[in-house]
Amino acid sequence: MNPVRMQFIREKLVETALDDSEHKVDPVKPNILAGLDVLDVGCGGGLLSESLARLGARTLGVDASESNIAIANHHASQDSRLRDNLTYKHTSAETLLSQPKRYDVVCSMEVLEHVDNPTMFLSTCAELLKPSGHLFLSTISRTPLAYLLTIFLAEKVLGKVSEGTHTYSKYIKPSELIEYFQKYRSPSPNSRPWITRTYEGGLPTRTEAEVRGLVYNPLQSNWILAPRGAWGATDCNYILWVRKPGSSP
Amino acid sequence: MLRASGSKACRVIRRTCGRWSSTSASHPGEYDVVIVGGGPAGLALAGALGSKQALRETLKIALVEASDLSKVHDWNTSTSPDTFSNRVSSLTNVSQAFLKGIGAWGEVESNRTAALEEMQVWDGMSDARITFSAAEIGLEHPEEGMARITENLNLQRGLLRHIRKTPGIDILDKTKVQSITSEGTGQWPLVHLDNNQTLKARLLVGADGLNSPVRTFAQIPSFGWMYDTHGVVATMHHAPRSAFENPNTTAYQRFLPTGPIAFLPLSPTVSSLVWSTKPALASALKACDPSIVARMINAAFRLPEVSLQYLHDRILSSHTSSGTPTSDSDIRDEIRWREQSHAIDPHSAYSSSAFDAPTSSGIPPADSQMVPPLVKSLQPGTVASFPLRFNHTEAYIGEGKGARTVLVGDAAHTIHPLAGQGLNLGLGDVECLARCIETVVLAGGDIGSYTALLPYTQERYFENHKVMAACDKLHKLYSTTLPPVVWARSMGLEVVNELDSIKAALMMTAGSTPATGPSNAALNVNGGLGQTVFNVAASGFQVFATANKTMQAVQTGLTSAATRALQAAAKAATGSKGEGK
Repeated sequence: MNPVRMQFIREKLVETALDDSEHKVDPVKPNILAGLDVLDVGCGGGLLSESLARLGARTLGVDASESNIAIANHHASQDSRLRDNLTYKHTSAETLLSQPKRYDVVCSMEVLEHVDNPTMFLSTCAELLKPSGHLFLSTISRTPLAYLLTIFLAEKVLGKVSEGTHTYSKYIKPSELIEYFQKYRSPSPNSRPWITRTYEGGLPTRTEAEVRGLVYNPLQSNWILAPRGAWGATDCNYILWVRKPGSSP
Repeated sequence: MLRASGSKACRVIRRTCGRWSSTSASHPGEYDVVIVGGGPAGLALAGALGSKQALRETLKIALVEASDLSKVHDWNTSTSPDTFSNRVSSLTNVSQAFLKGIGAWGEVESNRTAALEEMQVWDGMSDARITFSAAEIGLEHPEEGMARITENLNLQRGLLRHIRKTPGIDILDKTKVQSITSEGTGQWPLVHLDNNQTLKARLLVGADGLNSPVRTFAQIPSFGWMYDTHGVVATMHHAPRSAFENPNTTAYQRFLPTGPIAFLPLSPTVSSLVWSTKPALASALKACDPSIVARMINAAFRLPEVSLQYLHDRILSSHTSSGTPTSDSDIRDEIRWREQSHAIDPHSAYSSSAFDAPTSSGIPPADSQMVPPLVKSLQPGTVASFPLRFNHTEAYIGEGKGARTVLVGDAAHTIHPLAGQGLNLGLGDVECLARCIETVVLAGGDIGSYTALLPYTQERYFENHKVMAACDKLHKLYSTTLPPVVWARSMGLEVVNELDSIKAALMMTAGSTPATGPSNAALNVNGGLGQTVFNVAASGFQVFATANKTMQAVQTGLTSAATRALQAAAKAATGSKGEGK
């Protein structure tokens, strides 16, 4: 799944860079994240963090599990290119909030569906961002299809994932996330909600937020980043991008 | 804090030991890609990686070659424009498009290559014939031909010149790989060279040919067999085609029961031979006087199979110690007598009487285009032969202790040369692998990891196997002299020859039509529904490959189940008998 997540991150950053400035951005520039501070919340073994670091980001990966951090550190130590700009910390996002450091990009992949208090988790991630920062979240929607694929098939029938990993009631629909960011305002004075308008059917505008489905193709055993607005694509795994409003209104 | 100081120390070490130039065994030089093998596939891969800006900026690439590449670089062609190397390949339009795309085609000396405008292929037993013409198969530029006959050295030199201009690629020639080791599962392989250098590779590419050391290291098994056939090559000189004929841009191939013989045009008066035949005859021909070989080549394209059989036996017996040596005039008289007895008109193109006559410039016989021009002489020292084999590895990517390895070209597959696809398949691999690596780099992935390289196998394995299997079956189909088979295959060939659309489709799969329009995944911001649909559809085809594997597994399972059932039945039978007693 990692290549499609990275593909989406790259596409979105190129797109917003084009929107923000008149300068032409080279879409095939390898170190697209150079000079950015990137936080990976729930980094696990560091799959995404390593990719982010390879694209030039000053990456911090945090995870609540100490053993995950040890695995991630061990894996990263085998690649000398990662020494300079990849760090892992055994801590939580809430702890980071008490420190002054803020990030250009915050990613949290496949974490939201395991969190007990999603609204608090979302606001923590949101506040860790600098103004105009990018938040990338990927998770699973709460639909019968998602139950069938991620719990019934993956856990009970095929046993690819150990039973009890996922809880259906904790899954969150994309529309619920969009609704959350339509109301959410940063604590600073005269801030606006992150999503100010939507199209008919509740889809956000391209410059504020975007939801794309991640579809597994069992024939090629790879993941596909579904096209924008593809029917039913966000009914199972999906990735959300939402941007913090700039500091000046 | 500890971590910070640690990383600082690492940086100092890297700076002081010099990252690439002075790499000793104790401090291995780290490379992102180490390519073993400086043949066409290895050089093309280095060139393809270097041609992509994203990769040029991020990857440190080394190419290791045992021989002296300056010989390839300084390969001298100024002595005479009529002297050609005996190893040539037919580069399909797809391969040419790839070489143009990476900017290497401009370095290939194009006036030493020849466009192939027509192909004539016929059955040595029945004379059933099929003709492929660039003008007929709906090419965009028929004058560019279906393929281009190119000397391998010309291609290699072009690629090498191109790479020398690309920064960031270290070429280590005159350097042998002594051993390849790994520190454990998934670790970066260490390539130990004979100059005491050690290279640590994020990705180790085996472009090192049939007996690939990289494949041995990665412990990738392969399956295949030797054909009881050797390929004889030579550079042939002949008179130019006259003003009444098509220029020398037609390739001829005749399928003899001993193997196909092919005539590949290089220039108006020079062509290249690829003659697949029995190993004994190949070595006998190499030992013969070049003039006899030239006569035998002419005969092989012209005489009926029964006479060829006799001539071959004659050459073979003269080659053995007890046999009587055969002189040039013996062969000349024998061929002349056989032409008379087959009632071949001495003025027709099927007669080799003009071999001993001065070149005439009259009106050519009506059938002059049915056979290649009469070979007058062979370029001295160009007759050579090599064994032919079929070989395909079971995987292209190494796993476990052999992780971070990938195979391209002949290291992964060896093919019968009858369709001239070997080099083209290798270049197809290279194009795909370079594209795959670029995608991974742009996504921040680790190019050495198994999952990163998986799309390469998925795209190439079945594709290569299809072409390889087709060539293998053709070789086997045409090696028989059984009348019903000859009748059926001739019938099939004649029918296909009448169906232009099928011929065009055949040529398309043989790489005559390059894909239109460059596709760049990184630019395709919205994904595109069409692309997704296509991806899913394309993967449908892959199910066939998987289904085949499944079928095999099922078959094995059923066989063992059946065996067990039989055994149980037998036991029960003997048991009841015993009880009965």
